[in-house]
Amino acid sequence: MANLALDMITTSAILFVVASGLMIILGVMKLINFAHGAFLTLGGYAAYLTTEAGLSPWLAPLLAGAVGFGVGIVVERVIVRPLYHRPLDAILATWGLGIIIGQLITIGFGREVQFAASPMTGTLDLGGIEYSAYRLTLTAVALAIGGALTALLYLTRFGLNARAVIMNETLARGLGIDSARVRLLTFGLGAGLACGAGALITPLLSVDPNMGLPWLVNSFMLVLVSGVSIPSLALASLILGSAQVAVSSYISPIIGGLTIVVLAAVLLRLYPKGLGRGT
Amino acid sequence: MSAAAADAATPALLSVEAVSAGYGGATVIDGVSLAISQGEILTVLGKNGMGKTTLMKTIMGFVKAQAGRITLAGEEVTRRPPHAMARAGVAYAPQEFTIFQDLTVEENLRVGVPDDRTFAERVDSLADVFPRMLERLKQRAGTLSGGEQKMLIMSRAVLAQPRLMLIDEISEGLQPTMIDRMAEVLRATRERNGTAVLLVEQHLSFALSVADRFAVLKLGQIVEQGPAGDPGAASVLVHHLKV
Amino acid sequence: MARDTSEAAPGSSVTRRVRRTVLIGAAVAAVVVATAPFQLDIYTKNILIRAFFLAALAMTVDVLWGYTGILTFGQSAFFGIGAYACALVATHYGFGPFWFAGSFLLALLAAVAVAWLIGWLAFYHGASPLYASIVTLALPIVLVQLIFAGGRFTGSSSGISAFPTYYWAFETWFWIAGGYLIAVTALGYLLVSSDFGRLLVAIRENEERCAYLGIPVSRIKILLMMAAGAIGAGAGFGYAAFTNVVAPELGGFLLGTELLIFTALGGRGTLIGPVLGTIGIDVTASYLSGSLPFLWKLITGVAFVVVIVLLPQGLIPILGKGLRRLWPFPRAAARDAVVLRGFEPTTPHGETRSAPLRTADLLRHYGSLKVLDGIAIESRGSELLSIVGPNGAGKTTLMRCISDGGERSGGEVYVNGTEIGRGSPQSVVALGIGRSFQNTNLFETLTVGECLMLARWRIDGASLFSRRNEVALPTPALGILEATGLDKALGTETRNLSHGQKRGLELAMVLATEPSVLLLDEPTAGLTKAERTAIGSVLTSLARVHGLSILLIEHDLDFVRDISDRIVVLHQGALLMEGTVEEVIASDLVKAVYSGQAVETAS
Repeated sequence: MANLALDMITTSAILFVVASGLMIILGVMKLINFAHGAFLTLGGYAAYLTTEAGLSPWLAPLLAGAVGFGVGIVVERVIVRPLYHRPLDAILATWGLGIIIGQLITIGFGREVQFAASPMTGTLDLGGIEYSAYRLTLTAVALAIGGALTALLYLTRFGLNARAVIMNETLARGLGIDSARVRLLTFGLGAGLACGAGALITPLLSVDPNMGLPWLVNSFMLVLVSGVSIPSLALASLILGSAQVAVSSYISPIIGGLTIVVLAAVLLRLYPKGLGRGT
Repeated sequence: MSAAAADAATPALLSVEAVSAGYGGATVIDGVSLAISQGEILTVLGKNGMGKTTLMKTIMGFVKAQAGRITLAGEEVTRRPPHAMARAGVAYAPQEFTIFQDLTVEENLRVGVPDDRTFAERVDSLADVFPRMLERLKQRAGTLSGGEQKMLIMSRAVLAQPRLMLIDEISEGLQPTMIDRMAEVLRATRERNGTAVLLVEQHLSFALSVADRFAVLKLGQIVEQGPAGDPGAASVLVHHLKV
Repeated sequence: MARDTSEAAPGSSVTRRVRRTVLIGAAVAAVVVATAPFQLDIYTKNILIRAFFLAALAMTVDVLWGYTGILTFGQSAFFGIGAYACALVATHYGFGPFWFAGSFLLALLAAVAVAWLIGWLAFYHGASPLYASIVTLALPIVLVQLIFAGGRFTGSSSGISAFPTYYWAFETWFWIAGGYLIAVTALGYLLVSSDFGRLLVAIRENEERCAYLGIPVSRIKILLMMAAGAIGAGAGFGYAAFTNVVAPELGGFLLGTELLIFTALGGRGTLIGPVLGTIGIDVTASYLSGSLPFLWKLITGVAFVVVIVLLPQGLIPILGKGLRRLWPFPRAAARDAVVLRGFEPTTPHGETRSAPLRTADLLRHYGSLKVLDGIAIESRGSELLSIVGPNGAGKTTLMRCISDGGERSGGEVYVNGTEIGRGSPQSVVALGIGRSFQNTNLFETLTVGECLMLARWRIDGASLFSRRNEVALPTPALGILEATGLDKALGTETRNLSHGQKRGLELAMVLATEPSVLLLDEPTAGLTKAERTAIGSVLTSLARVHGLSILLIEHDLDFVRDISDRIVVLHQGALLMEGTVEEVIASDLVKAVYSGQAVETAS
């Protein structure tokens, strides 16, 4: 029972980490980044290369984040910016970008599964329960990311500008905020978070060119259900993540894989604005 | 040629020369020329749908000018993006979508002041004009009353310490005492910073009491201009605004 | 008053031209399909059969996405449903002509049922297009997981193979696949070229406005989804019966996105483009994926992004432009000259006892902000009621709450005695409301004539497979068109109209729906004096002669004074005062609220 609860909490934490980059981009740019899955994959390979090069696995998420930020900046300038007024086309273009990244990785590394070294192994003793140390660490990382993003949004000038653009872009521009720059940095940040998350989850899984895909869809659902708010993303991750763990353990892992998608579609039908906006 | 009048005295801070603009294929303002010198308050009057707001949006860069030229302190700024205009010292107080409802009053003010170091000082200066704003700094702006929201808009424009303020129908829906206060603030800002003001209004007595000059915009064109203090101005204007 | 156009009026010349094109096109395609198997090797035939079935599926994606604006990731699911219906019945139940036909029918029924469910989820009034896309994205994912969960029954991840089917010759399958593609494409082409096709474009361009013209947008989208699902399932069924192998990928999300790529590259909204695009890309892919498997996918990915960013119209239209120089065939969107015909409308509800419009304790708040607070108004027939008040008084919100049952937070709205409940705009329109909007964003690429036809949809319907060339309009609508010169500009696309003409068209469209209560939001904003006077006299005659009850929001107080019977003043969401023109203008309260504005314009 305690194990199940820990599974629920750590799964939710992982979902939160994976979805945060998507949410930041959706919030500020009102854009669903379909390349999110590919960015996760990119992060996975960055982690693989880091450990292959003999560097500490702890460095992997940071390096992956930096790579993601750089790639994100370029992608925003070349692909996303021209489509700012065609949101559905932007979804398609980022999906196309995902294909490109996936194929480049396939050409570079082949289709086979690779493994990245884990920064830590073994279990921690939590008052009599042995539980995976890395999953517990990820939960702490999730809390740290949530805290850092909140601080960024609420305590910095960039955060204020970003929130102003989220609420009313026209007014923000009229008051001297260069919204194009805010969007550029936001996309970089979101891509960086996604790559970092990809690196963080690789020790739990293997690395392959399509590793991001299953996470992509679940991330969407979480972000759409939560709306643009860090606490409500955490809440949505906790509710839907726990439901997924419960269904997987008590009914069937295959149906468990559907839980988030189906629950989210129904929740959105009932509360079209998502949990963040209340009812 | 009405812009010529400005050339005679000091060089204009803002000069709008034969500017046409509109949405899609439609032209809403058609060959408008006007000039404002430093420290001058010009009011543009006209009824709804005559192009007043479009004129402001065109100066600010929200609407692209189809023809003509706009300069700020001698520098061409036609078709410059809005954020660049704001950074060049133009504060815009629009009539619609005026505040960030979900930000606090303080955050609303901070967005308009890019300089974080002097922000506290500038906010303190509100004590003279809108003390009520200081009491509400931590409150969500959406919970302010209509009059308080107008105060916030005006405060934000003043705190930016601009060279030029573009103010769109600030008097609408305000009580007479509040309107007087707005007039005081405009005059004080002009005294303190030499700020020039373009004031778009429908409220005739308010506009004429604050402004140095007036212009009447009708169906996208300037049909009348003159000094606001002129005793005949009011009757001329009533004639124009009635039809 | 002949409203049945299918018999009375012979098909318009566009209809005839479109039908001729379809006939010639289908005949040419049929000849190609009939003779091709004798020229091609087995491998190419094999690939082409698959490509034909996929092209039929891509055609449905284009109707949904290219024409109607529904970005669907889930069309592959219907393909999968069709394929699995074939395989499952043949494997587990039986095989023979009856079983085969029965499983085909089952495939169609299952697809239609699933499409209905998806449509019901995704297309409620006010749903965002993004939500619809998300639901269509969830569909193939759920389907594939269910197939996985089906264990031995569905063959899980390895699928089902070697089930009994008809081992006809390759030529026969080639003809079946080709014939199916030609038939459904011809049907699709007729559909998008018809009045109904213009309606789909109108939904894409401005769904909200369609709803306010009384067009049941949600139901149309659901029906369209069901038809597209059935066609997709038919293709999937054929594919399974031909290859004798089904796998979960046939219904998967990746195939769904590939269909979008085919459609985008071929040229969305052209129908033929996606069909040719699918065949071209799929065949090339089959040849190249042997030698350059990853590179080929990379190239398609790059091409896809480039086309989306730089050439949103796709590649085929560019080829098409070149071809059209050689042989000018009509576009699906070709326009006919439309003829207007006026008729005298019946006076609405002249003798009914209940007020045309009554609100009781109407409430609207956004969070803690009260925008409308207990509004009770009642309008009468043959009366022009003006609603005035400063900006932010809640005037437009009031109109919105009256015309959309989902808008208000509390209170009741009665239209001709019926409470509107939580009804969508189209159900409120059906009760007799007609609403015009402040902004003049009409349907950009539709012509004036098409807009008017659209406005008559609720009453006259739209033909599925042909074009009309006559619109019957009530005389007041016709009057507006004549006053603004629009009757001479019926073939002009609305984006090329002047501001005054757009306003006129907006009003004429609302009148064409024959409302008994007319809600007008600043109908004269930005108009010239002459245009204002014209509209004023039309409104007066609508109230006096035709018995309409008109609610008018206006800023121009002179205009209000000239034409109103009664005035309601709103201030900060509350009803401040109600009375005759003289009473309101003389009121000190109102003067205070307008703080000078009213006084000056009245002085």
